[in-house]
Amino acid sequence: MNANRFRFPARGAHLLFAGGVLLLAAMPFLADNYFVRLATFVCMYGALALSWNFIGGYAGYPSFSTAAFVGLGSYVGGLLQNAGVPMVLAWLGATVFVSLFAALLGGAILRMKGHYFAIGSITLVEVLRMVASLWVDVTGGGDGLNIRILDGGPDFAGRVFLYAMLAVMLCAWATTLAVERSRLGFGLRCISQNEEAADMVGIDTNRYKTAAYTLSAVYCGTVGAIYASWVSYIAPTDAFGILLTLKVPVMAMLGGLGTVYGPLVGATAFVLMEETIWARFLDYHQAILGVVIVLLIFFLPGGLLKIDYRRGLARIRSAAWARAGRATATEVR
Amino acid sequence: MTPKLIRTALLSALLMGATALAQAQSTIRIGAPLALTGGLADEGKKQQVAYDMWLKRVNAAGGINVGGTRRKVELITYDYQSDEKRAQQMAEKLITQDKVEFLTAPFGSGHTKVVAGVAERYGIPVMASAASSESVFDQGYKYLFGTLAPNGGLVDSMIRTFTAQMPTVKKIAILGREDVFPRSMAATMKAHAEKAGLKVVHNEYFPVGALDHSASLSRIKASGAEWIYITGYTKDLILVRKQMADLGTTAPIITMITGPAYREFIDALGPLANNVSSATWWHPSSQYKADDVFGSTKAFYDEFVAREKHDPDYVHASAAAALIALQKAIEKAGSTQGAKVRDALASLDAMTFYGPVKFGPNGMNAGRDLPIIQVQSGKVAVLYPQAVKQADLVAVR
Amino acid sequence: MSLYAQIVVNGLMLGALYACIAVGFSLVWGVLNVINMLHGSFIVLGGYLAYFAWLHWQVSPFVMLLAVSVGLFLLGFLLQYGLVNRVVSQPVLTTLTLTFGLDMILYNLMNVWFDATPRRISLDLGRLDLNGVIVPNDRLLAMLLALAMTGVLYLVLRSSRIGRAIVAVRMDRDAATLMGIRVGRVYAITFGIGALMAGACGVLMSVVFPITTNITGLLLGKAFVICVIGGLGTVPGALVGGLALGLIESVAGNFLGAQSAILVGSLLMLVLLMTRPTGLIGKRGYQ
Repeated sequence: MNANRFRFPARGAHLLFAGGVLLLAAMPFLADNYFVRLATFVCMYGALALSWNFIGGYAGYPSFSTAAFVGLGSYVGGLLQNAGVPMVLAWLGATVFVSLFAALLGGAILRMKGHYFAIGSITLVEVLRMVASLWVDVTGGGDGLNIRILDGGPDFAGRVFLYAMLAVMLCAWATTLAVERSRLGFGLRCISQNEEAADMVGIDTNRYKTAAYTLSAVYCGTVGAIYASWVSYIAPTDAFGILLTLKVPVMAMLGGLGTVYGPLVGATAFVLMEETIWARFLDYHQAILGVVIVLLIFFLPGGLLKIDYRRGLARIRSAAWARAGRATATEVR
Repeated sequence: MTPKLIRTALLSALLMGATALAQAQSTIRIGAPLALTGGLADEGKKQQVAYDMWLKRVNAAGGINVGGTRRKVELITYDYQSDEKRAQQMAEKLITQDKVEFLTAPFGSGHTKVVAGVAERYGIPVMASAASSESVFDQGYKYLFGTLAPNGGLVDSMIRTFTAQMPTVKKIAILGREDVFPRSMAATMKAHAEKAGLKVVHNEYFPVGALDHSASLSRIKASGAEWIYITGYTKDLILVRKQMADLGTTAPIITMITGPAYREFIDALGPLANNVSSATWWHPSSQYKADDVFGSTKAFYDEFVAREKHDPDYVHASAAAALIALQKAIEKAGSTQGAKVRDALASLDAMTFYGPVKFGPNGMNAGRDLPIIQVQSGKVAVLYPQAVKQADLVAVR
Repeated sequence: MSLYAQIVVNGLMLGALYACIAVGFSLVWGVLNVINMLHGSFIVLGGYLAYFAWLHWQVSPFVMLLAVSVGLFLLGFLLQYGLVNRVVSQPVLTTLTLTFGLDMILYNLMNVWFDATPRRISLDLGRLDLNGVIVPNDRLLAMLLALAMTGVLYLVLRSSRIGRAIVAVRMDRDAATLMGIRVGRVYAITFGIGALMAGACGVLMSVVFPITTNITGLLLGKAFVICVIGGLGTVPGALVGGLALGLIESVAGNFLGAQSAILVGSLLMLVLLMTRPTGLIGKRGYQ
């Protein structure tokens, strides 16, 4: 981890964030439902990226389990709602279930390291998808699960789900702030730098890692449950989508791993980028997204937040002066 | 990040205002989210061709007659990349920004349901041309209509025709893909076969993405089935048919849904496709005459072949028929208002080049005389209904 | 009794193809410590090239094997030398994301140039009937070729200079550098070999399965499972893993149904990852 990274002044960052949240919340009054939906996706991916940041950013374990938790949350939330539980309670129920699931599984999965952990975490997605597909009596199998559509028209529904996703994102943000300043955050950063040394210094690595893995699951579960109520239909292949589980770490990386605002910046930038690219380049949008990812790896290894803006600006300024200086010199000659 | 969002929001508000002013809504706008890239791209392109054929004819005649005024039609297409989240976004964009009054449904069953969910809230009618499973129409949505008849009808006519022409067939083996449509076709067959007195000696589902079916096919071979019935997407069926030939799994009747209905299936299998039977929702040899933009099945067929240089399949026909049904409903309602057109669709009972269109209470087209086909000597022959019958069922050798 | 024999034979034939799918992937992972997300797309690319050569110019796929191998080796070599080498020592996530991005580009290009219609080379080669056990000849041929290529690769790794350089780099990169081995070049050659094996596998598969871009993710997934089961970075590991997976899927498919077969494979992989990540015959792997 780059210890010399430039830290954006904390107060400025919080103000910007507050402004962003206000803008998202005001979207229904500023623009049409398409933008409301876009804003909802921004909140959703923001929450997912922040969640992933716990295990992938702070702890340094590259998890690809995001889709597993989101899908599980979708199914549990959907099943609860179908059983008569009121919508918001169903969301909470799904959150609790997914958190417990991650906590129980964490111990086993976190024994793997590096590449193996990555593979194990992605296998979880596959296994859950197949279970959802096989357990026809409960999940409907390949047919998918219907959830009752929310009454009240598109504007009302748009607002409900925007604010729901925004609330989850805010909770994830608050948790990240808390972790960043706590012993857990410190311990996780130690683990990500050198796990054995951290262990020797007295950090209970197993407990901390499991905590990080569980935290990475909590809000994914909520997001999944809200998504199921929003869309009113879920099926195994899309609920446990591999593309989602691969995109979310990229978003966090784009913004900056192990920071509070990095994942949010990355998620917003990614969603907006996808929208503009897709709108303009029909046939090759996926390739262009791939190119963007490749460029990101080469030129923005620490993410958008870790670019030293001040130094960059200073360099540009001095280059401009140097050029001006040379010009005057030749003129004089 | 923040200034960018504000700018985009303001710009969109401005654009909205501008479009609202500029628009007297003189054209009828239909939104078509299509999978033009990604896994379902082939099917998406089929729909696109059919829509385009209808669009050209309608506008050539001056447009749709809405209560006395002829209004031209505009089709707005977006590629949703075979991705579910994109499909919803596209639907929302088409409705709120492009101000479409009607939507067509995308190809996949799951994607259809998701788009219908968005449209239902706005009261925008959605025409689905590629969904035939009851589970797609089981959410109680009032604004979703589909031109494909429910799977049950196909299964019934198959059972009747085959058992009549080959009365010694008593045992059937079923193998289906665990995915909305193929699953439904398999489950429906199991239920109806048992009711018809056949013995189901094998009933299994294979997962999405299976690369090998030798285990299932070996067991089917051991079961002694006289009728082997497989459902899946084209690439699954190609693989299964080949492995059946490899393993020597065979029976007098081999049915693949909906293999032979697609040219790609016959092309890829060559001689192995011979004598494979199937049921379909429409066949070019049908002889419907109708008061629609094409006028008759033959007219549609001729124009399609001239344009695409190969035969159309039921997806093409159903897609064109979906828009014809919409057109007739608009004309009947005398308005393009969502609720009125929806009611007109619900009570529609019309004949088209594709066949009769009459939507049931769940929005699905009532099935009638759906063709049963078999590949004979490399070409598709119709076995039923009597009116267009070209050949008898031939046993697989 | 012949049913059991058939199950075993099916499993072995499938397993040989699986081994071929995985061996290139395993080598790249073991030697470079890079998870190559492009692997599935390389396989499909090889298959498509063979298909179109067969369709337009009637070139036999077994001849295409050579052309595709060379072509894909070059592609892999250039990709590694130009791009992946720059990030090869960075953490898992970086390299994986890079190859993921490259894969998106390749996948999109293939979809646009070749489109996703399933393609299959139909060679009617008949089948053998050994006492009730059926062996389709094209699968048998594909299996023998897969085994042959794997064997050649094994010999190359053991006996040739470049092969031993690759093994040296895998064992200890820094020591290898100190011994004068140009690690960057070795990496590029290894990646090239990985791409070559993938492409060759694609050619063999196009004879047996319908090829479409939709299956790239599926093939990649199989490669993962096989590497974990067999062990990383060695040819015998990929072979054992591939054959094991083929047999498991065949047996489970017969007794538990097709869907459960794949689930069993994945569960086995999870269990192995938790208990014995180096796989059945792997040595100390990368953490």
